[in-house]
Amino acid sequence: MTDSTDTRSERPVSERCFISEAGLRDLTADLLESGTEVIAPVAEEICASPSAVASAACRMPGETPVEIEYRRLTDAAELDVSRGLPVLSLKGFFLPEHEALFCWEQRGTTITIKPVPTTFAPRVVLAAKPCDSAALEIVDKVMNWGHEDELWNGRRAATTIINLTCPSIDESCFCTAVDLAPDSTKGADGLLIPVEGGYLFEPSTDRGREFAEAHKRHFASGCGGEEHRNRQAEDERAAARTRVAANLEIDAASVRDWIDTHFEDPLLAALGARCNGCGACTSVCPTCHCFDIIDEQTGVGQGTRRRCWDGCQSRLFTLHASGHNPRDTQGARYRQRLNHKFAIYPLKFGEVLCTGCGRCTRVCHAGQDLVEILAAIDVAARRPGTTTSPQEDGGSSAAPPAEEQVAS
Amino acid sequence: MNIYQPHLMTVVDTIDETSDTRTLRLEFADQELRESFEFRAGQFGEYSVFGAGESTFCIASPPTRKGFIECSFKAIGKVTNALREVNTGDTIGFRGPYGNWFPVDDWRGKDVVFIAGGIGLAPVRCVIWNVLDRRDEFGEVTIVYGARSVGDLVYKRELEEWAARDDVRLVTTVDPGGQTSDWSGQVGYVTPIVEATAPKAENAVAVLCGPPIVVKLTLPVLGKLGFADEAIFTTLENRMKCGLGKCGRCNIGPVYVCKDGPVFTAAQLKALPAEF
Repeated sequence: MTDSTDTRSERPVSERCFISEAGLRDLTADLLESGTEVIAPVAEEICASPSAVASAACRMPGETPVEIEYRRLTDAAELDVSRGLPVLSLKGFFLPEHEALFCWEQRGTTITIKPVPTTFAPRVVLAAKPCDSAALEIVDKVMNWGHEDELWNGRRAATTIINLTCPSIDESCFCTAVDLAPDSTKGADGLLIPVEGGYLFEPSTDRGREFAEAHKRHFASGCGGEEHRNRQAEDERAAARTRVAANLEIDAASVRDWIDTHFEDPLLAALGARCNGCGACTSVCPTCHCFDIIDEQTGVGQGTRRRCWDGCQSRLFTLHASGHNPRDTQGARYRQRLNHKFAIYPLKFGEVLCTGCGRCTRVCHAGQDLVEILAAIDVAARRPGTTTSPQEDGGSSAAPPAEEQVAS
Repeated sequence: MNIYQPHLMTVVDTIDETSDTRTLRLEFADQELRESFEFRAGQFGEYSVFGAGESTFCIASPPTRKGFIECSFKAIGKVTNALREVNTGDTIGFRGPYGNWFPVDDWRGKDVVFIAGGIGLAPVRCVIWNVLDRRDEFGEVTIVYGARSVGDLVYKRELEEWAARDDVRLVTTVDPGGQTSDWSGQVGYVTPIVEATAPKAENAVAVLCGPPIVVKLTLPVLGKLGFADEAIFTTLENRMKCGLGKCGRCNIGPVYVCKDGPVFTAAQLKALPAEF
């Protein structure tokens, strides 16, 4: 693995500074007080219906079921750093589910375009999950491929992101299989590592260092001189990595090359067999960035052109006006998703379009399990010239119906 | 500059090509842009009717004619039907030019064979005029154009103009049953007409655009006539929203039609997954 966090951990520990639980809350209160937008995980109590409880982040007997989501805080007390993965990633704070690209007004034949701002007020994300910050840096590449997306870049430039070593690893996580880690600072400006009584903060960018400097009254002086806390932090990070790595190990380069050269392979068709195209995976995915552009008439002679999330699992996504559809089966659409994430994007931009957060697996009501699917492809990729079905490899995907076997 | 914000263009002319296909001639509202705007043959744009949305077409006029651009479209969806309704003097939006282009400069000294079916003549027309406006630089020019019926032939005035030129060999055809009593062109599908026309392949390039079936069937015929895959150029269409490689829907395997295309050689086409 070539995770850059390895080199970061070799950085002098003097860059680390301790912040207590109370200090983090006070820092948050200060930010809010100064009018800075703060985005952080918040626990929301949910109704105790069996289905809601089953999917809740906290479902221990006797505990109130909650869902975690990233929210703009209104009060520092809302900050909830210690529980599960937010249902949605940070994506929506950078690529909103729908947003105005510009507005227009028409008087007679005269059209006036009213631009939208592309610069944003500074804001801070606290306790971001490493898989969510990493996604932003990955998507930066497509948003700056040739033409620069000012709306995306504006929000990125305005945002300081402080990660928290992931406290919520479960069986669907596989960040270590895609060159990330539960303590990665990719896409972030620093990392909070839980230690006794609080956190060690480790900046990873100049912006992160400036953040620590600007809020130094909340950090302990001496910045990490206490050796036991450093040891604790290292143990915490190593343990988190080990927990995730047990879920999945793949050779991403082999997987990329295999998918790239096996477009018609029955395995790829079989892997999509259970998918019914609901598109939930693309909504919850931190790296899925595909969008639609639509016009919204907001009144007589006025309107807004909007960008809205869209996803490759929808039949309409690629449907031509003529009725022709290049991806006219669900098998073809699922293959596109795998292909885009694990072959096309790596070939274009040098890294997979996936952070291993596992949300697609958790949200899939048809039981598509990306850990299982990648493992099956990895097995095929390690045996050149052969293919396997997920069933042979312990998966449970049924053979696809004939019409789903996407032929040339 | 917000890359999704279009330029405003004034409709200066509308031409009904067929019962459902229309050409718009457009001028940039901004005087400076009208003079400075440049593009290459084969590039496309996003045309929008405010309130209806954006749609993707090639620029159908040649880069050798300045001060305006033209687009031709079939009124078939929401935006194209809204575009069908605009009148001279109306304002529409345009983003572009996007994508790659036909390497016309590389064809100097060569024969050029144009083959188009139906509305597929729109992107080819841009290249035809580009070549005809620089006529001395190229060898023989052959145009084979077919449509379902006489009524479906687009750019009828230009077909007459090309037919009248002695430096262009024009062959027009309509599908069997699509001819009228006064039709003087060929009757038959484009592919066999290309085979019968038999343009020579030596020191020649072919530009091919039409419905997928025409492209699929004509490629082997061109091969049989001796055209190398690298000497056959086509332009692809896929559903697009941004035109900028970001919205994620126009790719064919690893190739993005909006950025890597829309112009491809037959050799490039054959290397792509069969998903277009």
